[in-house]
Amino acid sequence: MNIHDLKPARSQTLPPKPRNPIPVWVTATLAVLWLIVWDLEISFETLAYGVEDMGEYFSRYRQPDFSNLSRYLELMGITLATALWGTVFALLVAFFLAPLAARNFAPSPLAYRIAREMLNFMRAMPDLLLALIFVAALGLGPLPGALALGVHTAGFLGKFFAESLERVDKGVCEGVASTGANFPQMVMYAGWPSILREAMGYVLYILDRNVRMASVLGLVGAGGIGLALHDTLRLFDYGQSAALILVILATILIIDYASAWLRGRLG
Amino acid sequence: MTTVSTWRWPTPSGWPPLPLVGGVLALLCALWLTAPIVEVDFVRLIGSLGKMVGFTGQMFVTPDWNYVPQLLAKMLETIEMTILGTAIAIVLSLPMGILAARNATPHIAVYRLTRDVLSLMRALPELVWALVFVSAVGLGPLPGVMALAFVTVGFMGKFFAEAIEVVDRKAVEGVRAHGAGWLQVRLFAMLPQALPDFVGTVMYILDHNLRAAAILGLVGAGGIGYDLVMSMRLFQYDRLLLIALAIYLVVTLLDRASDRLRSRIIHGKQA
Amino acid sequence: MSAISIQSVTKRFPNGFEALKGIDAEIKSGSFTVVLGPSGAGKSTLLRLMNGLETPTSGEVRIGGESVDAHKLRHIRSKVAMVFQQFNLVDRLSVVTNVLTGRLAHRSWVGSVFYLFRKEDMEIAQEALARVALTDKAWNRADKLSGGQQQRVGIARALAQQPKVILADEPVASLDPVSSEEIMALLREICDRDGITVVVNLHQVELARRFADRIIGMNSGKIVFDGNPEQMTQSVLRTIYQREGIEDDNSLDMALAYA
Repeated sequence: MNIHDLKPARSQTLPPKPRNPIPVWVTATLAVLWLIVWDLEISFETLAYGVEDMGEYFSRYRQPDFSNLSRYLELMGITLATALWGTVFALLVAFFLAPLAARNFAPSPLAYRIAREMLNFMRAMPDLLLALIFVAALGLGPLPGALALGVHTAGFLGKFFAESLERVDKGVCEGVASTGANFPQMVMYAGWPSILREAMGYVLYILDRNVRMASVLGLVGAGGIGLALHDTLRLFDYGQSAALILVILATILIIDYASAWLRGRLG
Repeated sequence: MTTVSTWRWPTPSGWPPLPLVGGVLALLCALWLTAPIVEVDFVRLIGSLGKMVGFTGQMFVTPDWNYVPQLLAKMLETIEMTILGTAIAIVLSLPMGILAARNATPHIAVYRLTRDVLSLMRALPELVWALVFVSAVGLGPLPGVMALAFVTVGFMGKFFAEAIEVVDRKAVEGVRAHGAGWLQVRLFAMLPQALPDFVGTVMYILDHNLRAAAILGLVGAGGIGYDLVMSMRLFQYDRLLLIALAIYLVVTLLDRASDRLRSRIIHGKQA
Repeated sequence: MSAISIQSVTKRFPNGFEALKGIDAEIKSGSFTVVLGPSGAGKSTLLRLMNGLETPTSGEVRIGGESVDAHKLRHIRSKVAMVFQQFNLVDRLSVVTNVLTGRLAHRSWVGSVFYLFRKEDMEIAQEALARVALTDKAWNRADKLSGGQQQRVGIARALAQQPKVILADEPVASLDPVSSEEIMALLREICDRDGITVVVNLHQVELARRFADRIIGMNSGKIVFDGNPEQMTQSVLRTIYQREGIEDDNSLDMALAYA
């Protein structure tokens, strides 16, 4: 290498300035959004009228009618119980599937693929669709709701767990593997203890989510408070609807704070 | 020698730690108490297994091919609702996020208020808001989009506020030192730093909203959901099969795409 | 019979790197062997082959007459313990539980997945901890210990396996000189008292000289020296640490002068 090789600086020009793609993207996005608005036939007039009326409309909810409060609380109890059972079911399924769906723990590539696909399938099915199916098979009641929540969120939990397990330090896995531990022992000693805290966070998140979802499962006949809300709204009984919404809201906020507190203590 | 003395846990006493035992007992207790409420009945569950298989069997009929054009139209509507609702929510959640971030908010009272509003917005599922909006603006995709956007602002606002709260202090101070104003600091120092996190979140939200949009039709708020419920009620299994497949397909595709995008963002972009 | 027998072993990684280019060695039962060599010489790969953490591309490793292959891994590993450079303990578990993982291969999974251990196993673990002088730390979480202490837990885990062979892969590379000394002395003592065959990978020439019965020198995937510490002269060290394509390596001479 000779310093003179670098000499002819005159012929060197700066590389062309990269074109800034952001305006193109923004324009394209706006065009797509405009197309969608046009295709969905959303009329801004309706929206404007709607917004104008909205104030008046929401004022109808001003006086919640708590005359049936004990009934609502009972329904909320059913909803919470449904969410709990759904979450426990999901936890059980995910506990067994996640290690199989983690690349570094899976005993064979085939088991890995099968477990991954099972989790994907469970996740892809919306829980209300599952609830519809389970109601058709099991009849009305909270049980099909709990099953639907369980199946759907097992997919989520399993995926979260598997991803956490894949992040377990390779050295720790080898440390336990080098003693001759087999697959279940690997999972129990190198796997779960290492991700325990993360896993608890995920379970709380899923429980939280299931409470929200359980409160609408009633719409498809799977028990809980959702059906009552659906009925009162259809009867334009704004007082009762307002009371129901408040009960749901209060419960969810309490759960929200409780799980935030628990997570804070775990973290 | 009894089993108690041969088997022991790796603790000083040989028994499992108290918090664990307490936690497990509390959970079992809760499950036992709630079992009658949820009507958990294993006999019924086992008994209905045959029914379930029968039901699943019924779903595997020759699909109603004539329905495909309508299915495609409805799926497109579902996807459009998802995109529009998410886009509106992104635009609205940026200012909300700034107001709800401890280090960007103009006043602590504004911070608390915005946080509470956001948690109210995301407290109820889309379907409940859809019910309310349907009664307000009538049937169609509009209330669906409104419901999606409404709940999504609640989530995105919070995520965004949290992303802003962890941005690097030094860069913010650097921009401020050059005489940037209140809004400029937020636009040029905080937003760009919080953006990568934000993109990952958007993919999650898109994923979630697509599933939500697929069922909003249940209450008349547009999308595939209405057809889903109708074919269920009318026992049109030839349609139901197609609908379920279509939902599965679209959700899975989006899932894969978002996984790929996320890992690209996390592991750095390769041109 | 030799404890470990390595027969024309080669190892090529999927990325094309050839870590071992034909290794033959017999390691006597109850001996203390140190493998010396520069980084990337293949020392680590060689050790990992003996525990089945890697599989050879060709050739065979036999432990006590039994071939190390995928079907008998659990059985082989129950006799061949491993100690790692980064200790590789499970941070969240207590010291005792980490030591007890050494018993996993000896027990069926039924009790162990519920963290249930037999009284004998607890006693073995306590004894192993006493050997490494960590009885008082038994109930601490593993990640609360210092590096030297964590490595002693690693050795206790190996002892709890009641192995025929202990393999130590750079056991002192992450430790300060005083802890390094302790760990090496501990391994030597285990070899002398329990008659366990010990194979250690090392960087430090001086430690190798003082503790080993036999030194195997490796360079770029081949054995370049095999003998006792007295035979390891300055010129032998030059061969071991020779860098490829560099004839007259000044920095090598400098480094070895102080070794």
